[in-house]
Amino acid sequence: MKRRTWLLSALGATGTLIVGWGVLPARSRLGTPAMMLPTQGDVALNGWIKVRADGGVTLAMHRSEMGQGIHTALAMLVAEEMDLPLSRISLEQAGMDAIYGNVAMFVSSLPFHPMDLEGDKQPLLVQTGEWIVGKVARELGINATGGSSSVADAWSPLRQAAATARASLLESAAAQWQVAASEIKVKAGVLSHASGKTGHYGEFAKAAAGRTPTVVALKDRSQWTLIGQPALRTDVPSKTNGTAGFGIDVRLPGMLFASLRQAPMLGGTVQSVDDKATLAMPGIERVVPLTPVAGSSAGFAVVGKTTWHTQQAARALQVQWAQGSQGALDTERIKAELTSKLSSEKGFVFHDRGAVDKAEAGAARLVEAQYHAPYLAHATMEPMNCTAQVKGGQVEVWAPTQVPGMARAVAAKVAGVDIDKVTVHVTQLGGGFGRRLEVDYVAQAVQVAMACAGKPVQLTWSREEDTTHDFYRPMHVAQLRAAVTAQGTVDSLRIKSAGDAITPRWMERGLPALSGPVDMPDKTASEGLFDQPYGFGHQHMSHVTTKMGVPVGFWRSVGHSHNAFFSESFIDELAHETQQDPLAFRAAWLAKAPRHLAVLKLAADKAQWGSALPAGQARGIALHESFGSIVAQVVEVSLHNGAPRVHRVVCAIDCGTVINPNTVAQQMESSVIFGLSAALYGRIDIKAGEVQQNNFPSYPMVQLAQAPFVQTWIVPSTRAPSGVGEPGLPPLAPALGNALFVLTGKRQRSLPLQA
Amino acid sequence: MELNINGKSINTDADPNMPLLWLLRDELNMTGTKFGCGVAACGACTVHIDNQAVRSCVMPVASLAGKKILTIESLGENDKPHALQAAWIAEQVPQCGYCQSGMLMAATALLARKPKPSDADIDEAMTNICRCGTYQRVRAAIHRAAGTATTASTGLAA
Repeated sequence: MKRRTWLLSALGATGTLIVGWGVLPARSRLGTPAMMLPTQGDVALNGWIKVRADGGVTLAMHRSEMGQGIHTALAMLVAEEMDLPLSRISLEQAGMDAIYGNVAMFVSSLPFHPMDLEGDKQPLLVQTGEWIVGKVARELGINATGGSSSVADAWSPLRQAAATARASLLESAAAQWQVAASEIKVKAGVLSHASGKTGHYGEFAKAAAGRTPTVVALKDRSQWTLIGQPALRTDVPSKTNGTAGFGIDVRLPGMLFASLRQAPMLGGTVQSVDDKATLAMPGIERVVPLTPVAGSSAGFAVVGKTTWHTQQAARALQVQWAQGSQGALDTERIKAELTSKLSSEKGFVFHDRGAVDKAEAGAARLVEAQYHAPYLAHATMEPMNCTAQVKGGQVEVWAPTQVPGMARAVAAKVAGVDIDKVTVHVTQLGGGFGRRLEVDYVAQAVQVAMACAGKPVQLTWSREEDTTHDFYRPMHVAQLRAAVTAQGTVDSLRIKSAGDAITPRWMERGLPALSGPVDMPDKTASEGLFDQPYGFGHQHMSHVTTKMGVPVGFWRSVGHSHNAFFSESFIDELAHETQQDPLAFRAAWLAKAPRHLAVLKLAADKAQWGSALPAGQARGIALHESFGSIVAQVVEVSLHNGAPRVHRVVCAIDCGTVINPNTVAQQMESSVIFGLSAALYGRIDIKAGEVQQNNFPSYPMVQLAQAPFVQTWIVPSTRAPSGVGEPGLPPLAPALGNALFVLTGKRQRSLPLQA
Repeated sequence: MELNINGKSINTDADPNMPLLWLLRDELNMTGTKFGCGVAACGACTVHIDNQAVRSCVMPVASLAGKKILTIESLGENDKPHALQAAWIAEQVPQCGYCQSGMLMAATALLARKPKPSDADIDEAMTNICRCGTYQRVRAAIHRAAGTATTASTGLAA
């Protein structure tokens, strides 16, 4: 089936199944006051905004803070539209209503080529596809913090909610003062009229609650005072004095602690257990067998007086494990199998332009290369943990989660109660990176709590359990081939890759009701390959989806994290093969991609591309679009005792309208370091079904002494905001590999990079 | 046994083999000190013992009698922050924030020892792992607090 035909029929089927086929307008995301927590003296005006008696505003915060600065950025949108200082916005956790779902994340999962999304006139397929998926996503209302989508998703509904609230407050004041609303000014949350009348929002909140405003207008960007200005993050002070509350910091009266012992081999089962020694240890209350739920492993939780007591006791459990169906998994064998599938299987065609076969047949020569990227673990600094209490038919969960609704659903399923009997408290997240889009650890904590007679219990994974029971970034391989003419021009680009699809596995685990029997093509597998921006006349990009049996999940920047390495390293190969400067070669093929070209040039200019470097240093460049944003990086590297030492990374980014430039810079720095750890050290090996790395000594990270200085340059833009948390990661590995090629003459086609 | 934590004398009947980290977190409810790896590899659990930065996840309580223990909770208050905390805020160091208690305790120990640290001193002393990659701002904040800042700090250039 052709890509486009498939896409339309799949979308049609999904739309029909889930929402029914209707022409009703997409559901409003303004919400109702009842969606917010009722608090004494405060008045909610819609599902997002509650006016406090003191005239400040409480915002329903629907997204999880995991370091990306989203709690500050979203509060800035509200402060801007309501003419309040950022310090007057406080947060409460949003409820579970559909308005808090993430529409943008689902819309961006459509496999459209970014060039189809440029310009004012989008093809009908794009319009139709986005409309259907947007409608479905609004109905489903799945709340997820991921896909670098939070600002893009909230950009319109949150400003609308704030502007609507402001308008009803203003019109209430106008009615009370008997003046025209247009004559009232608002400054720092204080309304005033030339007649001398003045008052703050809190004084008009009750009157505004029943009022539907007649005029709601978003501010023009020329009036913005907060959006686009660097703001201090509101969560930072609490993160300098130990008071920020992470999942692991939840403390409840009478709370017990629990530690895990999971089957060491993936998918392993329990043959027999002897817990006598464990139960005899001091401070231990009980051993709870754990059933695999939502992707969790079989094993045990040991419950007792402190995490330390239970960690010791979990180690002392005598368990005979049996291998399950994944017992033979071996990463070397998987690599060989993926490579052989590149030639034995046809794959799904994500992009086809021109006639690649013909171009290759007529080529003077073919440039060809094969690339590989390993499995990776997330290694959030805060290990997986969850606190739960099951009492009187009610379930309460405290979780550092990116998906509170999915956490609630799995808790209800495990406890056997209706979903409205479950309350989920979202804590601060000590890193997410996609690992906390999973709810395995929530399912486990509820199982443990059910065995604890109504007492709350906090289950904390050891670092070893965390590293060996992750949902790994899948291994991928790719074959890339370019046809070069006698004149030395690249005529075609063919890319075929193979690896496991993530989305269908994730849905099976966390959204089983929406999970189908057949895997639909998963954009995340080919993103960053099929949608590269260069204008080669003939292109063919396909992907072979596999199911190797290793649990796979979303890892910061997902498919882009490996595919940018494949594509941008190969582009660099083509430049060198055709004796062109890597910057000039890229620029020449970006004539129809002006935004990409501008970003590329900005990074190159600021890095003084082409200028002399100290002896022993070299530069590499890479350009990559992901999550709607374009990032170029220039990496400067030398070899230190035979190992790559990155000195500086110059980043340029076009992420549309910027809310908080400080956060953009932070996220570039963050993505560079995250990408550098992966590029230099990251690999998860599996032998006989067991993950070989288990803690930081065997799964090392870049530390301060190896950290490059990262400089960020932002392209001014009036486009809608796009992603920031992930797009800085993909270009790092290829830019570094390309720099190492200049330094050593050796092209590296496998991650992690070697010296 | 009796322990001196943040200037207070604390009596505990904790298992002498229990690492200080878990006494702090699970028995005293002082949760500012974090658990990251359990093998002294990441530094999230860093505290001061007699003014030295120490990884509390491998430090048995029994070894601490008569010693002065300081945790992140002793560093400063919101309205009266330590110079390093103020620098951390000015440089906007934390992202997820989980490793930052340990970072700050390592940095305060460094400055107590070397009030004007060089970059090489910072490289050597600051071996804590941060998955959000806040390293260049950690460096900048230490320089700021020490009054040794020389270069642009955060890298936000446009």
